[in-house]
Amino acid sequence: MKNNRLFQFIVVFLTVILLCGCWDIKDINKRTIPLVLGISKTNGGEYKVTLQIPVLKNESQVSKVVTGTGETITSALGKIRTNSENAIDYTQIRLIVVQNHLAHNQKEFTNIVKFLMGSEEIPSRSLMAITDENVEGVLSSINDKLGVHASSIYDFFNKGADWAPEIFSTPVWEVYRSLFSSTKDIAVPLIRSGRNTVLIFEGSDILKKGEIMDRLKPEEIQLIRVLQNKNEKGKIESLGFASIMVSNSSIRLKPSLNNDKPSLSSNLNIKINVLERNDGVTNKKIMEELERIIEERFFHILKRMQESHTDIFGFGQEFQQLISYNELKNWRDEYFPDLKVNFEVEVNME
Amino acid sequence: MTQRIQIGAVFIIIHLSFGYVVYPNLIYMLTKTAHWEVIICQGLLQLILIWIYMKGLNYFPAQNVTDIFLKMGRWAAIIFLTPFAINLIALASLNIRIHTEVIISIFLPRTPYWAILILLFFISVYTALKGLGTILRSAIFIFLFVIPLVVLNIFSSVINFNIHNVTPGLNFPPKFLLDIKFFYLLGFSSFIFLGFITSKTKLIFRQLLAVWVIVTVLFLAIVYIPLFIFGQDTVVTLKNPFLEAMDSIDISWFSFNRQAIFFGVLLVGLVILTNSVLFWLIGTIMQKIYRWNSSNWIIAFSFIALLIALVVPNKSLLEKYFLWSSGAQALFMIIIPLALFIYGFWSNGGVRGHEKQ
Repeated sequence: MKNNRLFQFIVVFLTVILLCGCWDIKDINKRTIPLVLGISKTNGGEYKVTLQIPVLKNESQVSKVVTGTGETITSALGKIRTNSENAIDYTQIRLIVVQNHLAHNQKEFTNIVKFLMGSEEIPSRSLMAITDENVEGVLSSINDKLGVHASSIYDFFNKGADWAPEIFSTPVWEVYRSLFSSTKDIAVPLIRSGRNTVLIFEGSDILKKGEIMDRLKPEEIQLIRVLQNKNEKGKIESLGFASIMVSNSSIRLKPSLNNDKPSLSSNLNIKINVLERNDGVTNKKIMEELERIIEERFFHILKRMQESHTDIFGFGQEFQQLISYNELKNWRDEYFPDLKVNFEVEVNME
Repeated sequence: MTQRIQIGAVFIIIHLSFGYVVYPNLIYMLTKTAHWEVIICQGLLQLILIWIYMKGLNYFPAQNVTDIFLKMGRWAAIIFLTPFAINLIALASLNIRIHTEVIISIFLPRTPYWAILILLFFISVYTALKGLGTILRSAIFIFLFVIPLVVLNIFSSVINFNIHNVTPGLNFPPKFLLDIKFFYLLGFSSFIFLGFITSKTKLIFRQLLAVWVIVTVLFLAIVYIPLFIFGQDTVVTLKNPFLEAMDSIDISWFSFNRQAIFFGVLLVGLVILTNSVLFWLIGTIMQKIYRWNSSNWIIAFSFIALLIALVVPNKSLLEKYFLWSSGAQALFMIIIPLALFIYGFWSNGGVRGHEKQ
């Protein structure tokens, strides 16, 4: 009996050891949590990493910008960690901004994406963006704007459903996937700092296996989103004599293969609301004009894409059933340039 | 009846535990298209083996595998079951180490792995020492808290799905059947433990079939979630595709911003129960063959397992050893049911023949 008591006491005592098992846990108030990571390169060829860190309890400044340089991104991040007052926790990074001179180098960009995906700390669901300006400038521009939060840069991409349908948000894992995909390329948003707002959306860079092929304007990018079957509710379009708002859209794609020549028929259905119109403009005229504009825009982009062998629409994916897995690897170079698209737009009034 | 439900729960938990970590990688290496074909083939093969196993066990009512082998002769038990038990040590230790690595990469990046290993070992050995009743009861508890998480993971990952990432179709002829990796794959479907519980409960094949269907559907989900999100070309470049798939999910309105945490939590539950079953198996086998207290065997062997888990130096070796171990397991999964079936058929057939005369 006495022996048993002793045993129980030891077991209870052992739990004390387990209780302090979290010896390496740093409390949240002892951590610095950066939200945005900027990556660029210095003139000397070293990587330069910029972090935007929210500052709490300070009225005049919402965030601070910290930079570090190193031969690799990891060493740059490590240097920032060394020099920081608190423990830096990279797990909450929401946006990664890459400067254009890095993004335009296929090898560098591929390595960055692979690093970000492989990193256990930086989450792969954080968004990516490219900027033509100095990364540091973009990240620090938040400080002289009125009424912004530290998270504004990230919020910019996450306005929610139909508030700003043009904005493409591209997470790291999608960019990583596009490095290996043989049928679908990806658009990475292009941003710069604004005068009154924190950021300005300039369009998107089109990447094929990590190489920038083209740059699309916001309205073109929006069409691509429609073709990828993302609902484009809320998009406002100006036709000169009227403005309309898209209230619903849906697309049906039907692939077919004749003599090894792919063709695709696609029906785009758009429902619109007329917001304003000039006197005497009929519904019919608005619908016809909108159909014409969208078709023109589509064939313009398609031609550019086919010339650069870049399948931003992901049309190749529709052919999974018709072309075998190994053949589909050559989709971009062998099939896509010959692709005939029968694109029809049907506009309806709400 | 409750015991049968509990056994079903254990069956599902063990399969999930083995299925989540190395299993998808193996499937992606085996084939580039029509992954479902591999899973269904493996499942059917498993089902056939289970059927043979059940038939073999039914020749000997109220006896478990060790009893039957002892009936064959002590030498048979030693030859067949000692290597099996030794392989179980390797399997248990490598399994727990692989899970530890995943758990570390999910939510304890700065904790040394030995701390987590010891904790997991401690709990599973304790459960194993308490015996089969405790294992079965805790299986229900773990099942109830793991399955909602599994379902949540499956449903929340739907937002990133792109159906067009997967090439449908059929591989004909199925070349993967001859691949050594397919043999390893078979080792992931462990049903051998069923034969060691039978002295108390008689198993019904129809009910096992229902559990088998659930397990196959879950395996399909485990393999297809990363495929739908990333596609075959990308998935082969990832070290842990399922974890990356969970990490890619971003639901802004959901109060938990990291789905992978759920995955980590459910892995902890799965690995504890799976390992306690493995240790308990070792205990019962060794106790009957060598007549030494089963707790002593469990403690001694789990200590060896802990040492093995601690000394494996890196992940690539770890996976290699794990595959070897599961290959050996697959071998036992073929040998033991067949041996039982043949022995049962031979001895009982003789008896029945006499009765008829």
